[in-house]
Amino acid sequence: MPAIVSVVDLVKNYYMGTQTVHVLKGLNLSFDEGDFIALMGPSGSGKSTLLNVLGCLDRLTSGKYYLGDVDVSEMSDDQLSEVRSTYLGFIFQSYNLLPQYTVVENIELPLLYQGIKLDEKTKARCVALAELVGLGDRLDHRPLQLSGGQQQRVAVARSLVNDPHLILGDEPTGNLDSKTSVEIMQMLRELNRAGKTIIMVTHENDIAAWARRVVRLRDGRVESDVRNDSRTVLEVG
Amino acid sequence: MFGVSGGTLLLIATGGAALFAALVAIVFATGLAAHLPFAANTAKLQRSVSLAVKSLWLHKLRSVLSVLGIIIGTCSVIALMSFGEGSMQDALDDIKRQGATNIIVRSAKPPDDSATASKGFVTSYGLVRDDLERFSTLTTNADVSRIVPMRVFPSEARYLERLVNARVIGTVPDYQVVNKLELSRGRFLIDNDDSDLENYCVLGAEAADKLFPYEDALGRTVGMRGHFFVVVGVLKDRMPTGGTGGSQAAEDYNRDIYIPIRTSRRRFGEVIFARSAGSRSAEKVEYSQVTLTVNAEVDTPAGRAKVQAVGNEIKAMLEKKHPRKDYAVTVPLDKLEEAERAQSRFTMLMGVIAFISLFVGGIGIMNIMLATVTERTREIGIRRALGAKRKDIVMQFLVEAVVQTTVGGLCGAVIGVASVYCVPALWDVIRSTSWLTSEMRLPAKLHVGSIFVSVCVSVLVGMVFGLYPAWRAAKLDPIEALRHE
Repeated sequence: MPAIVSVVDLVKNYYMGTQTVHVLKGLNLSFDEGDFIALMGPSGSGKSTLLNVLGCLDRLTSGKYYLGDVDVSEMSDDQLSEVRSTYLGFIFQSYNLLPQYTVVENIELPLLYQGIKLDEKTKARCVALAELVGLGDRLDHRPLQLSGGQQQRVAVARSLVNDPHLILGDEPTGNLDSKTSVEIMQMLRELNRAGKTIIMVTHENDIAAWARRVVRLRDGRVESDVRNDSRTVLEVG
Repeated sequence: MFGVSGGTLLLIATGGAALFAALVAIVFATGLAAHLPFAANTAKLQRSVSLAVKSLWLHKLRSVLSVLGIIIGTCSVIALMSFGEGSMQDALDDIKRQGATNIIVRSAKPPDDSATASKGFVTSYGLVRDDLERFSTLTTNADVSRIVPMRVFPSEARYLERLVNARVIGTVPDYQVVNKLELSRGRFLIDNDDSDLENYCVLGAEAADKLFPYEDALGRTVGMRGHFFVVVGVLKDRMPTGGTGGSQAAEDYNRDIYIPIRTSRRRFGEVIFARSAGSRSAEKVEYSQVTLTVNAEVDTPAGRAKVQAVGNEIKAMLEKKHPRKDYAVTVPLDKLEEAERAQSRFTMLMGVIAFISLFVGGIGIMNIMLATVTERTREIGIRRALGAKRKDIVMQFLVEAVVQTTVGGLCGAVIGVASVYCVPALWDVIRSTSWLTSEMRLPAKLHVGSIFVSVCVSVLVGMVFGLYPAWRAAKLDPIEALRHE
């Protein structure tokens, strides 16, 4: 499997006044296409920062970040926006839907910034995605009229609308109860089986157990990098 | 119409800005914006407009309040310009009614009158027959089409027991043409009345009303200073000239009684005695006033120059013969030009007020937009995470501001135009029905240019004042924006 994401000597520092906070201290990681990775670690370990860097939302201080074959570490703000728009899908802990838009309009949102014409075809695609996540009967609802689980389904559908190479989840089940968490994770596993590469941050072991590979960070360094063999075996069997 | 004044320059500047705004609006509307660097395509722009409308609709009250400044600004620009134009037009019409091609020469008591008075009982001053003859040389080369002399003195006019304090005006038939008098009954004086020294008179509307409230005035006899005059005509009510500044005081013409000038001289003599409040005076004035009509068009610069030239010629003539300065030359055209200058100054002032009020409106917009940007920080973060570029965010907020000010400007224009038509009507109703017996009229003339300019300026204001908040929004760090609660 070719590596879809690889980081070389990734360093990220934050500057607070005169103080320098070293968040990521030279990470070397490589994620394969079609993998399902959970990033774990205690708070302050740098897992969220890593996810932001991988999501092209944050810039690295030094090192290299290759997305596919492309070096994105030197890209301009506009180019990074384009990368997000074309190759990445995001699922956030707090859903981050726009309250003034309907379900379909929220799903449509990433397409708005791709410069493509929004017409019946794109709308049909959004409706199909809404049906895929089981919200075919809630198309014109606003986010506040939906439950947390339903909102996160909308977010999942939204992350798929641009057919991304990589889906990034920032504690996608953090605000959900265990039952809806399982539903969302099932959905993500389905997506992964269909070929999507997923990287998610979580601090819950039973959520991480859904992933195929678990990377633990501590103090800005990789503490452990484990393949979830039992699961892999199960799937093979 | 205008000289190159500050007003004109301002008008040009505003017009230029408005043109620019209109151009931008057209570019936006027609989708030419697709070729500009900051918009990827038309579909996106249409989309941003509809999104902007949606976001604004979410906070209806706030949106309305924030554009209130623009609405009021636009509305007041149009209303003020229209009312200003209306009243100025009124003033100009007033001057034109006096005859803008006329030159009025009056006899005036000389300032060093006390010295003259001590010489004798009779004060003698003013225009004399020689002056009139000299004036008549002007008619030979057709510069002056009419010369109307007047001799004015106050007198009581009686009919039976009824009495009115009138002004007796001895004049010639041309007076009617020069002063644009309209007859309600009978006829005005004719040449034969003058040459035959007839005791005929024409009454002003109020004089006729006071003397003959029940009877038909025509054919009746009116007594003045011991002489009796047969009424041959009655005038229509004549609007008093509003004292439009300068030497011309407000005059009420409705109590005037017109008689042939030669009859006046023959019956009443050259010296007029006047009694007032215990003191007596006698004045010898051959002509109280001479009105000359210059053969020129007021609306052309050449015509105006001609009126001025003739005016100067007359002043020069009189200066030589009247070292005592017992005359005054009034050129109503001067007042017309003064009024026009006042109008252009007024236009400039309005322009400044317009600018200030729209500027204030723009600050209101900016204030709300900044608050909105703070409030919607998270939304900005979400959009950025989903692939929005900085310019997309700039566009979003800029479009919101421009949509607001455009709609505000259009609303203001509608209200302004409506007020131009409604307020004067309402004013008339109030004036006619209530205890408020104000003579003040409220003339309004829709100033079409101000509608265009003010709407365009409000669009421009949206762009200018929306830019900074939009830039602030775009500058936000996506991660911090996403974390914002």
